Amino acid sequence: MHRTMRGPNGIQIELAGVTKAYGEQVVLDGIDLAIADAEFLAVMGRSGSGKSTLLKLVGGLDTPDAGAVIHRGRSLNGMSEHERTRFRRSSLGFVFQFFNLIPTLTVRENVCLPLDLNGTRAEETARRCSEILAELEIDGCAHRFPEELSGGEQQRAAIARALVHEPELIIADEPTGNLDLETAERVLETLSLSCRQRSTTLIVATHSREVAALADRTLRIRGGRLEEAAQ
Amino acid sequence: MSRLLALAAGRFYLRHPWQLALAVAGISLGVAVYVGVDLANDSARRAFELSTEVIRGQTTHRLLPVGGALPERHFSELLLDGRVTRAAPIVETPVRIGGNGGPRRTLLGVDPVKEAGFRDYSGFVPGRGADFTRLITEPGTVMVPESLAAEFSLETGSSIDIWIDGRPEPVVVVGTVRSIAASAETEPPLVTDISTAQQLVGGAGSLSRIDLALSPEQARSLGDDPPSGTILVAAAGQADALTEMTRAFRTNLTALGLLALVVGMFLIYSTMAFSIVQRRRVIGVLRAIGVDRRQLLGSVLSEAIALGAAGSAIGLVLGDVLARGLVDMVLRTIGDLYFGNAVSAADPSNWIYARGVLLGLGATLVAALGPALDASRAAPDSALRRAALERTTRSRAKFAAVLAGPVLVLAAVLLLVGSRSLVMAFAGLFFVLCAGAMLTPFATLLLMKPAEPIAARGFGLAGLMAVRGVGASLSRTGVATAALAVAVATVIGVGVMIGSFRTSLVSWLDTTLTADIYLTLDQPRAGRPFGPELLTALGALPEVGGVAPTRYFRVRTAFGEVGVRAAEAGPEGWGVDVVGADAGAATAALDEADTVLVTEPISYRFGLAVGDAVSLPTATGERAFTIAGVFRDYSTGNNAFLLPLESYRRYWRDDSVTGIGVHLAPGYDAAEAGQAIRARLGDSTGVQFRTTEAIEEITLAVFDRTFRITEVLRWLAGSIAFLGILSAVLAIELERAREVAILRALGFSPRELATQILTRTGLLGVAAGVCAIPLGITLAGLLVHVINRRSFGWTMDLVVTPQPALLGVALALVAAFLAGIYPALRGSRTGLDGALRDE
Repeated sequence: MHRTMRGPNGIQIELAGVTKAYGEQVVLDGIDLAIADAEFLAVMGRSGSGKSTLLKLVGGLDTPDAGAVIHRGRSLNGMSEHERTRFRRSSLGFVFQFFNLIPTLTVRENVCLPLDLNGTRAEETARRCSEILAELEIDGCAHRFPEELSGGEQQRAAIARALVHEPELIIADEPTGNLDLETAERVLETLSLSCRQRSTTLIVATHSREVAALADRTLRIRGGRLEEAAQ
Repeated sequence: MSRLLALAAGRFYLRHPWQLALAVAGISLGVAVYVGVDLANDSARRAFELSTEVIRGQTTHRLLPVGGALPERHFSELLLDGRVTRAAPIVETPVRIGGNGGPRRTLLGVDPVKEAGFRDYSGFVPGRGADFTRLITEPGTVMVPESLAAEFSLETGSSIDIWIDGRPEPVVVVGTVRSIAASAETEPPLVTDISTAQQLVGGAGSLSRIDLALSPEQARSLGDDPPSGTILVAAAGQADALTEMTRAFRTNLTALGLLALVVGMFLIYSTMAFSIVQRRRVIGVLRAIGVDRRQLLGSVLSEAIALGAAGSAIGLVLGDVLARGLVDMVLRTIGDLYFGNAVSAADPSNWIYARGVLLGLGATLVAALGPALDASRAAPDSALRRAALERTTRSRAKFAAVLAGPVLVLAAVLLLVGSRSLVMAFAGLFFVLCAGAMLTPFATLLLMKPAEPIAARGFGLAGLMAVRGVGASLSRTGVATAALAVAVATVIGVGVMIGSFRTSLVSWLDTTLTADIYLTLDQPRAGRPFGPELLTALGALPEVGGVAPTRYFRVRTAFGEVGVRAAEAGPEGWGVDVVGADAGAATAALDEADTVLVTEPISYRFGLAVGDAVSLPTATGERAFTIAGVFRDYSTGNNAFLLPLESYRRYWRDDSVTGIGVHLAPGYDAAEAGQAIRARLGDSTGVQFRTTEAIEEITLAVFDRTFRITEVLRWLAGSIAFLGILSAVLAIELERAREVAILRALGFSPRELATQILTRTGLLGVAAGVCAIPLGITLAGLLVHVINRRSFGWTMDLVVTPQPALLGVALALVAAFLAGIYPALRGSRTGLDGALRDE
């Protein structure tokens, strides 16, 4: 019997009996989870516990061996590869530990990329890019390449890229794992604030208790199972 | 495609100029070799056609003498009895200009009035100062080619000696002639009035031939009943055999050019595949944020088109430069092999450039398709993982090795089904090379297994890392090693083929050249054959132990116009290398009535076998001869049959000969005998005097010159493969910067790192070389037994010596080692901080 964990608002993403194994090793074992609109969810756990796997499944980057990942009533499992790509393109924003900006595009071009992919008109793209760069205080380095930026600046650029097309869900995998404490704090504040301002759902995989402290809800993965962690 | 995706891809290559240069170099070199060969071939073909056209004019047929000269009365008889309406008498003879050793040209004696009647001087047009009135009315006047006039500073009124049959004849220039084809530089002949020509060659009342413009009905009628002692041959038909031979030669060159392009494709594939591998994280991110597969596929293929366009454009320029060198080689070869005199280059067709671009783009797209599909099919998360990539590559290597089996079967089917098709043979060859390339990555993995303990014992942990590094980076090294193996196999295969051919040629010359000295008429068709009195006189010389006369002539048969040699058995037999039958029985059968031996090329082309009957036109009418055997003949000129001289004398009613093999009397050497023979011959005949050693020397020199172009092309293919391995090794080392930095941090010295890198690239070279040996020998077998057979009808023995294989392995090793030097230097200088800090 699975106990579904629910958030405070309407359900955006639901995991039902999700199981994922790599060879003999079962990483997620019959997970049930409901994530509400505008919720900030932190997922904790030891290295290799399955945090990133959970995020990939939620983001449609991977498919479960058993169970279903359901977005607004529609199972991602049942979507074609093309549909999952469209889903990611329009509804999701990703923030990675190692920033993963496209090294051959400038900061501004990196941020424009999701709008470009979604076919947004050029003027609108330019306006929204400028706004988000200014909001995240990286407009001064808009025309620089990622390698010319500090870690904090790169991660803010990555956040800008994740937010610019106003997705309903942001998935962040260890977004502060590669930053010093002070920078990490600023980046996380920026990320959570930006999501709250936009009522964007945010799921963050992290080791950091500080990050977890900012979340609406914190879950811990242990032995392939999800546990509610005390706030 | 998204503008930003295009921008990202473009900047990637700008940030990796080495990769960009190598990718473009792969395409441009491949296109250059293909275009260079194509241009050279096209020039040679046009020059050949123009040469033929210049000489032939609008002539449809020629009436030729069967032995001896053509009486001039036949010309007037033909016109008088109304069997032909447009005819021109011709006297043609080879001459030398400015001295007996001067440049050789053809002197064409024509009747300007009759020439103008139907040929309209289509072969040549009057040039500067041409005065036909003087040509007709003044004996001893000629018109000379413009180039000759320039070379010898000749003007109207100038006197010059032309050498005919070794004697000088003074003539006066009354103008110049030039080729009608303005774009060609084909040499026109020296033109004179027919009566002057007859006077110069000492053949009053004799013609070399009669050129005719015949309707099909007229041709049929005259062909069925030619004047006695003559045969009617189609003017175009004379060139057919040569056209076929030159086409086969050109096809072989084109195939080598295409091989270079295929090796270039490996380089493109390698470069593109590596660029995808390098960007796997970026691709993963792009997939994660919503770039779909079609967009990625389009993006990578667009890159390929851009690279292909740039590479092809550079390739055209390089190809043009290359063609300038190759065209000379091709023309020399065709001239040496088939025409005996030089043909000149002609302007190439623009279509060749267009074809080069299309092939360059096509090859790039085909080569890039695999990496592009890889990029588009990558799941977003696996694209971020390097281990997944190597796992996939290793399983692909196994799959490719398994797939090589069916590919080999396909190759065998193509070779067997199209039993005479040269195109099918090349297709089969291509698939054999493909199978070899497919086996190479897996074979490399297998070869590294036994190398591990050896390397560990010899170089410790560093050696072990070097060996394991080969397998661990198979996604980069696999294709490059395969490309190197294919290129080295080509070097081995072509080397073994050339060696086999040369050995067979030497053996054939030893068998065929049984006499010590050979006397042949400079140009059998135009010259006057030796009379029987010369044979008696030569036989009486004390230096001469015996003479072996031969009569060479050409006849029109069901197999086209072919050469026939009538001979007698000398002291060492018939001097033929009989194949596929009992040589003794075949030559013994020649003693029986009405038997012939057929040459291998004709036997192959027309499916003639022992026991078949062939019909030859003789002076006494058509006569059937039974084929008693097939013999090797590496000469050119569409030679078909060998028959006993006795048969020739009986059926052709001619006892003259065109060649004499002289066997020396015991105790005399060739120099002494040569002096005596020359003294006996005097200067009255246009005779080539050659010792057996000289013929062998000249033949082998021509052979070596013929294959020089092949050498050039195979080394070019090898160079492209070298670029491939350099690209792969550079790529690996660039990607290993972080690992190298860690090793430095752990205490590896720069020298140890450089040794490790060079060991690994050396191992790649060894693997490629080892894989190339069986592939190269298979390739040689196919070239010897299939390609040459189908191209020229020749068979030869496959002679596998260790040298080409050892050379191939050494080449692979050196190429890989050289390719490793720069990465080794670079790797050993890698700083610790940057590589470790950068993710």
